[in-house]
Order: sequence, then C-alpha cells, then structure tokens
Amino acid sequence: MASQKIFTSPALKFELVAQCSTTRARASILTLPHGAVNLPIFMPVATQASLKGLTPEQLEATNCRLCLNNTYHLGLKPGQEVLDAVGGAHKLQGWNHNILTDSGGFQMVSLLKLANVTEEGVRFLSPHDGSPMLLTPEHSISLQNSIGSDIMMQLDDVIVTTCPDKARMREAMERSVRWLDRCIAAHRKPESQNLFCIIQGGLDLDMRRECVRQMLARDTPGIAIGGLSGGEAKDDFCKVVAACTELLPDLKPRYVMGIGYPEDLVVSVALGADMFDCVWPTRTARFGNAITKHGVLNMKREVYATDFGPIEDGCGCPCCRPVGQEGAMGITRAFVHHNAAKETVAAHLLTLHNVWYQLDLMRRAREAIIADTFPAFVREFFANLYPDSSKYPSWAVDALRGVGIDLLDT
Amino acid sequence: MTVDQEDSNSPSMRFEIVKTLKEGAAARLGRIAFAGRLPIDTPNFIGFTSRGAVPHVTPDNAEKHLKTTAAYMALEDFIERPQQYLKRTPPIYQTSTTQKHPTRLHSFTATPPSVTTILGARRLPAVPAPMGNTANAVSVFTSTGFQSLTTAEYSSAVEALQPDVAIPLADLSQNTTAPNSKRALRMAERTDEWAVGWFSALSGSRVSTFAPVLPIPYSIQWEYISRLAEDYLPTGQLAGLALYDADVLPDLESHAPSLLPLPRLALTNPPTPHHILRQISLGIDLFALPFLNQISDAGLALSFTFPAPESTASTTTTTTPGSPQPLAIDLSDPAHATSLLPLSSPASCDCYACASHHRAYVHHLLHAREMLGWTLLQIHNHAVVSAFFAGVRATLAEGGADALEAAAKRFAAAYDAEFPEGMAERPRVRGYQYKSVGGGEPKKNKPAWGKLGGEEDGIAKAMEDLAVEEKETR
Repeated sequence: MASQKIFTSPALKFELVAQCSTTRARASILTLPHGAVNLPIFMPVATQASLKGLTPEQLEATNCRLCLNNTYHLGLKPGQEVLDAVGGAHKLQGWNHNILTDSGGFQMVSLLKLANVTEEGVRFLSPHDGSPMLLTPEHSISLQNSIGSDIMMQLDDVIVTTCPDKARMREAMERSVRWLDRCIAAHRKPESQNLFCIIQGGLDLDMRRECVRQMLARDTPGIAIGGLSGGEAKDDFCKVVAACTELLPDLKPRYVMGIGYPEDLVVSVALGADMFDCVWPTRTARFGNAITKHGVLNMKREVYATDFGPIEDGCGCPCCRPVGQEGAMGITRAFVHHNAAKETVAAHLLTLHNVWYQLDLMRRAREAIIADTFPAFVREFFANLYPDSSKYPSWAVDALRGVGIDLLDT
Repeated sequence: MTVDQEDSNSPSMRFEIVKTLKEGAAARLGRIAFAGRLPIDTPNFIGFTSRGAVPHVTPDNAEKHLKTTAAYMALEDFIERPQQYLKRTPPIYQTSTTQKHPTRLHSFTATPPSVTTILGARRLPAVPAPMGNTANAVSVFTSTGFQSLTTAEYSSAVEALQPDVAIPLADLSQNTTAPNSKRALRMAERTDEWAVGWFSALSGSRVSTFAPVLPIPYSIQWEYISRLAEDYLPTGQLAGLALYDADVLPDLESHAPSLLPLPRLALTNPPTPHHILRQISLGIDLFALPFLNQISDAGLALSFTFPAPESTASTTTTTTPGSPQPLAIDLSDPAHATSLLPLSSPASCDCYACASHHRAYVHHLLHAREMLGWTLLQIHNHAVVSAFFAGVRATLAEGGADALEAAAKRFAAAYDAEFPEGMAERPRVRGYQYKSVGGGEPKKNKPAWGKLGGEEDGIAKAMEDLAVEEKETR
C-alpha cells in the first residue's frame, strides 16, 4: 500500500522505502524544499556557511545534498541584517541544496560557560564585546527564518545528560516542550521551512518517553533526539535512542543530533534513526586524521611519509579513486603526510575524504537495508574495524543484540 | 586548449617565437610546449607552489579552476630532515610513478598532468640563510630548519624528480642590498663553476635547463654568460634563461645575441603589474609571481584589466573622474558585507569564484577566518592575472611593441601604483615560510587565545554588573 508509506507536510515529503526485517533500520527518501535526500544520512557541518575549505562545488561532488549551518555562528557573523540583505544562507554560500540549522542553544552550552537559562530564554554575554544578550525561542526562529534553512530546529533547554539533578532535568524537558510551542507560534515560513522538535529528558528513559508523547502531540514534520553526545556512556546513549525510536511514528524522519563516529552511526541506524550530524569528521581531518573502514589513521605519523598508496584502498572519493577514473586526483598518503599541519591543502583533501567516507557509509547502509542484508552489513562493518572480535565494544554488542543482531555469534 | 600531442620521444621542450616585434631583447610573442602538457603562450605567468601545492588550492580545483598551466616548485620544500629521522631519504625521491603521473615530481605532488613543472632549489623570495653558501653548496631553508644542499645533491635530485624545467643552482646572496663587487665576482665565478658541473651531470637528461642569470651587472658575469652561449647553447643542453634581474637583458642583446632566441623566465618577483609590464617590454617571456599568493592571503581581489578600460573612472560613481583605480579590492572592508557583485567589478571575470559566489560571501569568509575565502581569492586572482597576460598578448599581436608601450602608459595612469594593504587577518604563517631576523617583529594577527584569567575576569565582571542591574530593575 504505497499511500501508507508517504507522509507529507507543507515543506517536506517523507517516503519510507524499506525496513530491515531484523533491526529497526529504515531506508527512506526525504524531499525538502531544495531537493530529495536519501536516508539514512550523515550531514557534514558547515558551521560558518563554509565546509572547512571545500568549495560548494567540491561538497556537491561528495554527493552531499544536505549540510548543516550553525545559527549561533551565522547570527554573529555575518549577522541577521546581512542574511536578510543577501537573501538567506543558500544565497550567501552559493549552495543550492538543503541546509539544516540548529537553534543556537547547543553553542550556549558548549561554547559559553556563563550562559544562564530562564523561562524567557538563554541569557549570555556576547563573545564580541561582552554585552549581555538574550536568545529566546522567538529570536532563534527569527534568525533561522532569515537563514532560510530547509530544516530548522526548535530552541531547547540543553543540559549535559550526565547532570545528576533530576529536578533540573525535568525542568529542562518541560521547558523544551513549552519553547517548542513558542517556536511554532513564531515560525513565519512553515510553507517553505520545516521545524523539528527535539526530545529531551537526559538519560531517564521514562522522562524521554514522556517528552516523546508531548512532542508528538505538536505534530512537527520531523523529530530530533537531542542532548546526547555530551559525554554519557555509550550504553546509556543507545538506550535513549532505542527508547525514543520505539515510540516514534514510522512516517517521520528521526534525527539524532551530534553523532558522527562511524560505529555510532551504524548502531544508531540499527536502532531506527535516520539522520546524523557531527563536526568530528571534518575537525579530525584538520588534525591530519583520515577515517577508513579499518579505523582512523593519523597521516602525520612517520610511517605514512613513504606510503604511496591512496588514503584508503578501495575508497571512491576524489582523493582515493583509482587514477584514470573521472575526477581522480591521485593523492597519496605521502603527500597528505608531507603537508598535514603545514599547508591548508592537506586539510582540504582529508576533509573531502572524510566527508565522502561518512556519506558513503550511510549510502551503503541504505543499500543493505533495501536489499534486506543490513545485519550482514553491520557484521562486516565491525569485522573491518576490529580484526579481533573480542575487542568489539560491549555497548555496541549489547545495543545490537537488543535489535536482533548478535555480533559475536558467527 | 588541448595538451601537446607531440610524442614523448621528441625533444623535451619546444619554444617557438610566434612573432618578433622588435629586434633584440624586447617584448615578443611565443609558445613553449612540452610533450603531454598544455602549451604556454607567452608572455605569461606560472603558478607558485608551497610544498608542492598552490596555497589553498587542491589539485582538482587547480585543474578545473586555476587559470595557469605551469607551476614553480622549490626543492627545499621537500627535503626536510625531521629530528627523529635525520638519516631518512626524502620521501619524494622514493615516489612511485603512474601513467597519469609519469614523473616523481608530478606524482608526489599530484600535480595535474597537463601542468608544466619548473623546479628551483629555493622558494621565492628565499628566506636568507645566516651562514651563506659555500664553494659547492647553497644553504636552503626547510620546515625543519636550514641545511646545505650540494651541487651534486641538487643535480641528482633533478634527475630523480624529472621536472620539465630545472634551474641550476646560483650563488645568490638573498640580501635586499646589492652585493659589493668582490662578492658579485665570486657569485659569478661560483655559478659558472656550478654550471659546468651541472651540464656534465645532466648530459643526456630530458630535463630542460633554464640557466640562472645573476642579479649583478653583465660586466661581472660576462665570462659565465659567454660560456653558456659558447659551450652549452650549441649542444642543445641550454633550453632557456632564468633571470633574477630583467635589467641584464639589454646587455645580453649587445654582448650575447646568440642567447636571445631562448625563452626567458623571470624570477625577479615583480611586486605589481606595472613592474610586469616593464619587464615584458625588456623581453621577459614567463613570470613566476609569488605576490599572487600574498595578495590572496591579504583578502584582496585583483580588479585590473589590460588594456585598461577606456574610461575607468566614469564607470564608478564613487571616485572622481580621472583618478586612478585601485589594483585590488580589499574584501575585508565592511562595505562589501552585503554586496552581491562578483569579486571584481566593473572588470568582468569569468573565474569560478566570480561565476558562483559574490563579495558578501568572501567578506564573510575572511571575517570568520574560513579557509575557503583564500581558496576563492586564489582562483579569482590567478584568473585576473591570466586575463591580464592574454590582454598583453592581444595588444602585442595587434599593434606590436609600440602599442604595448602606449597601453602600459595608459595602464599606469588608470591604476594606483601599489596594491592596497588589505586589512584581513592572514592565514597562520608556518615556520618554513618565514624566519625572524633579530626578533621583535610585530605580530601580524591578533592572538587567538588570551591569558587565562585575563579576559575571563572581564566576562565575570560584566556578569556581575548584569546581576546588579537586574536586581535594581526589580
């Protein structure tokens, strides 16, 4: 029944293509105002309207069709006035595909130690001149409307998941719900921009479930699971994702915020999540690290000085794809080593490779889900990463066992 | 344009003077071709690399968007000796070659095969070495410090790397002041001696030699230059000249006319297009232009065209008619914050940066210190200079040397004499690019990090003030 597999809302269409018969993994097509994207997806983070040295054209060549901008950073530079004058972030950065923006709330926690959250909003000191500023749900939405992102996030009250204060955690969860209402009321362009809610509630599964119920009642076109990736144990992370996805409707995209390690992506897909973002792949590139199916390699190590192979054998990115193929550059590990931490070109090349790796990982997961071979894909992924199965991380083994894959059963 | 189709067994370099406009050392139209590379129409310029890459431009962008077909590379960028691995052979000498990259230099640096490579020992301008050169070695500056490079090491490096063009070692002082006559004489004698060794070491090599011409009067280096003309020109071993000073050319015309048919590469580091025009009229065919990289790092978008537009002043309303236009636009200027104009205007530019982006974006990137700003500026600035040289060639083809003189005069009147300074913060300077001399130089950029307790205290104080203020309002 095709008609039951599609959800539409004014600025979004979600089509469920396939579901894994073992795990909760799903493959779908999310159509946004700037085109369709295949889920599951990893979204690279172009914090300040630029993906760390890559031209929009190069980013496009990695097959990326949805990337992130950060509202907090764009609000500071270039600022709302410039965004309005230029006509939004797509026009600013020459990117004709989709953009997702966060609310700016996370940076309040991660960058500003002296942020002070009240019912009104987040009060903080301007990093420019130290003057007091206030980020309210209304202001966050107004900024995101100016940015013109295809997916906007509600302002939420983020506190570290490991916070022991249960009352504060509940306050944050309930406040996030109230702030969603204010965000929805303030949203000026629901016909061209999607507003996603963010499920809070720390590591308390009951609180998370309660939050899911309250958020679902607001019927946003997509749902994010927030507040994770803040130093909690991976076991706890998986339990939260599993508890939330269990209650979420099939026909809406599910976004787990701030996730980027390949293991986390693969496990989260198995738990039923569709969308992920993280600065780690691009940041680690600038530190000289290449993500490969056998783990992260630091190109600054002397062993790579005379290694004339590609960054990763078999990789299809413009750096690694076999010389002779269209667009192949013939980059060697030795050249990256030669310039890592010296010329910006090495950072650009590793950024290209890492973004490609993350997108390709999700593309292959999607193909496996459609072919209903996802469990085999997961096994192969972990076998490549850990030659010795006794080294498999127990959190991943446990989480996958919960959705029907036993990694240790060979 | 397509790559040169000549099969690889033909003579490695062919230089054809398309049109001589004036007898002797003067502006001329030519074409330099290497088998498998894009031919280079002269007068023209070559890209200037740092550690094997044009700064901020990855090889894919270089191939697609950088309007230059040759690259200068410095051997000192590849031969550092890390402290823990003092004895290691520089990795570049061990590079494997592929069909796409048949030489080690191309292969190691992933330089697109269509690009001609020109190898010299040192960057330009070279960081002065405290200990100077010796009888058979020069001091070079690597990312791990100064080291000496012997003439024998250099010629075997050239044989191993197989650049299209190599510039033999010259005994240069690297000081800004002109050498005294005693030092100048020794420079000529050493360079002469090294040249003899070079040509015997590289006899039979496919690498084209562009012999250095020293930045000293002809009268001091005449013996060296006569040897080039008499011993190495007839054997075909001498393929071109690499001039450290274009003003030696008139003397070559009178004293060594047999060298005039050779292509002339300028390593003179001309600081502005006005200087370039003057050196073209002296007879330079090809320029290495390190200033381009500095201009892009400074947040400047080149905005000149050659010939200068008929009425430059009347096209903009902001300047009084007749006043010279700036050579470049400082995109860090807040005036560009919301400008959707291409990077340079009114001059039309067909580069990727101008076609796909606007000033507001580059302004934002510079302001946010995002690396892409420098990438886009590099693409644009190389395109402007490429169009400048195309304009020079068209002027020469149509009206000859006199037309070039006239157009250069008009260009000098139409544009400022120097580039604006550029207020943007620069990329971080690396150890191999710069050496403090004597110390005490001012910092170029604001410090990224403050002292713990310094700024923090300021914030704490502001927070306290805020609390007091709130209390009062309640």
